[in-house]
Amino acid sequence: MTELASLQGQTTLSAPPNGLVPHDAHVLAGINRILQEALRASTEEELGRLCLEVAEDLTGAAFSFFGERRDSHDRLDHIAISERGWAAYTGNDPDYSRRLLPDGMKIHGIFGQVILQDRSMIVNDPASHPDRIGTPEGHPTLRNFLGVPLRRDGQTFAMFALGNHPTGFTERERAIAEELAPAIVQALLRKRAEVASRASQRRLLTLIEGIPQLVWTATRDGQWTWASPQWVEMTGLSVEQSMGHGWLAAVHPNDREAARRFWADASERGDLAMEGQLRDARTGRYRWFKTRATPVRDDHGTIVEWFGTSTDIDTLRRLRERQETLVAELQHRVRNILTIVRSIFTRTVENGGPIDEIADHFRGRLDSLARTQVVATQTRSGRVDLENLIRDELLGVGAIEDDRLSIEGPDVFLPADTAESVGLAIHELTTNALKYGALRHPTGRLHIAWHVEHISNSKCELIVKWDETGVPAMPVPPVRQGFGTELIREALPYGLGARTRLDFRGGGVLCVITLPWADEHVEAPNRSIEE
Amino acid sequence: MSHASPLSAKRILVVEDEYFIARDLERALRAADAIVVGPVATLEQGLTLAETQAIDAAVLDVNLEGERAFEIADRLSARDVPWTFLTGYDEWALPAPYRSASIVAKPFQVDRVIRAIGALIPDKGRA
Repeated sequence: MTELASLQGQTTLSAPPNGLVPHDAHVLAGINRILQEALRASTEEELGRLCLEVAEDLTGAAFSFFGERRDSHDRLDHIAISERGWAAYTGNDPDYSRRLLPDGMKIHGIFGQVILQDRSMIVNDPASHPDRIGTPEGHPTLRNFLGVPLRRDGQTFAMFALGNHPTGFTERERAIAEELAPAIVQALLRKRAEVASRASQRRLLTLIEGIPQLVWTATRDGQWTWASPQWVEMTGLSVEQSMGHGWLAAVHPNDREAARRFWADASERGDLAMEGQLRDARTGRYRWFKTRATPVRDDHGTIVEWFGTSTDIDTLRRLRERQETLVAELQHRVRNILTIVRSIFTRTVENGGPIDEIADHFRGRLDSLARTQVVATQTRSGRVDLENLIRDELLGVGAIEDDRLSIEGPDVFLPADTAESVGLAIHELTTNALKYGALRHPTGRLHIAWHVEHISNSKCELIVKWDETGVPAMPVPPVRQGFGTELIREALPYGLGARTRLDFRGGGVLCVITLPWADEHVEAPNRSIEE
Repeated sequence: MSHASPLSAKRILVVEDEYFIARDLERALRAADAIVVGPVATLEQGLTLAETQAIDAAVLDVNLEGERAFEIADRLSARDVPWTFLTGYDEWALPAPYRSASIVAKPFQVDRVIRAIGALIPDKGRA
């Protein structure tokens, strides 16, 4: 090829020389041109036209075509018709005017013999040839013909034919055409492979650029050699900036060491995978990616490069983390509440009394816990409206709001654990009021009110007041030594940091619960827990 | 060989934010002749006791009003005081360094906690 190319500068493609000279310099220059053009031509047809032009120039033919047998063997498709051939057409067939190559020609007539007999043929008197079938409308009159088979692996798969030499074809033209034939085959096959590979590369590139993953290639020590447009778009690093170890700039500083180790292992292990964070240049935020690298090996199994993908798993990871948190919280809550129920049960039993009464007390406390749990799990925030908590409790025992019962206070939403304890306290107070206090005696009044008080700029307190009046004096305040008393006087201060006051005074119970309070609880009832 | 409890006269720190659970633990420890340090409900109170009191062992609830008790565990470990976690979480929900720690899962029976603490306290020093 290099030797041939050097010939081109020394020769011109003027008229063919006289005499039959195999490996004539003109022929070699023609072969050279065909092989050169094979690289440049963008289509098979363009290459085919060039081959035909060289053949026409070297043989003195007036026109020519280049055709290929179909896989079915019975038909011939055109690869090309020469420029001169198209110019010589005089018919009105619009297909020819649009240079649409005639396909599916039956293999017969004079040209057909080249393929059927598998040999080159000179026909200088086509009009009287036994196989003549005439020419299509608009085709120049065929005065003489030279056809040459084209072989691949010893099989004739195509042919080219030259027409109308001014004085008729001779053995010299046949020799030239036969010498061109292998070069034409080689050029055609090379072009075909190139087009196919280009198409497959384009397909691959379309695929690579179409997938959501960031794709890249690297040498064995993690020096990048290529990065896909997705990588560039995500990280804001140009392909050039990412080359070598430049890609590390997009890796979270915490993950850079792991990324380096990742490549240190590369020579030993078949493929690699790691999770790490990459900076999203569009938002400035780091996102989690799962990165995998697969080695590309040569025929001997040696790793020549690594093909890598980085898949965005940020959303997946956050969902997974959130789910883990929720499951853990759920476990915690369920197990905790069981432990509390056990404790309440123990205390209820310890306080003694007839079994029916113990059962009633326990059921009531369990119901109170259950109500709070239901409300807490119904809202996304897990918070409980204090007013509803109180109303539900009183409603549960049949109390109605009238001039003897008032419930008032601002909208306040308690965290679940606070609501649990406060709910139990309200339950104990209600049970007591129902048995001995304001809810039992027609003269009794119950006033429940709460408000938030600012203590200093950052500190607030929620003060809940349960105030019974008009209750005839009881000989022994029964709640004094029981579960309810312990709950209000000790459990609330212990667990919630509350200050509590529980007085059994003439006229009924006065209970004041003062809870440390963060101001935001007042305003935002539905803050979601992920915030 | 006396029948004295292994916890006899041992100072046991109890950090647990649920009042009733804390009281149950306190009661069970007293019944085992231990001296209860606390109980306290918050991380802050727990840290203070862990740093200022003589303690032989500790029972720590992992979740203290939404805060984690790990810092208390670390302080105690630094003082070579053994501890056991009380938790409603599974091991996987704990940070890796604590997964192999002594853990009593909620809901628990108090005697299990007493046994777990007994196992933490070395026998030596008791006749």
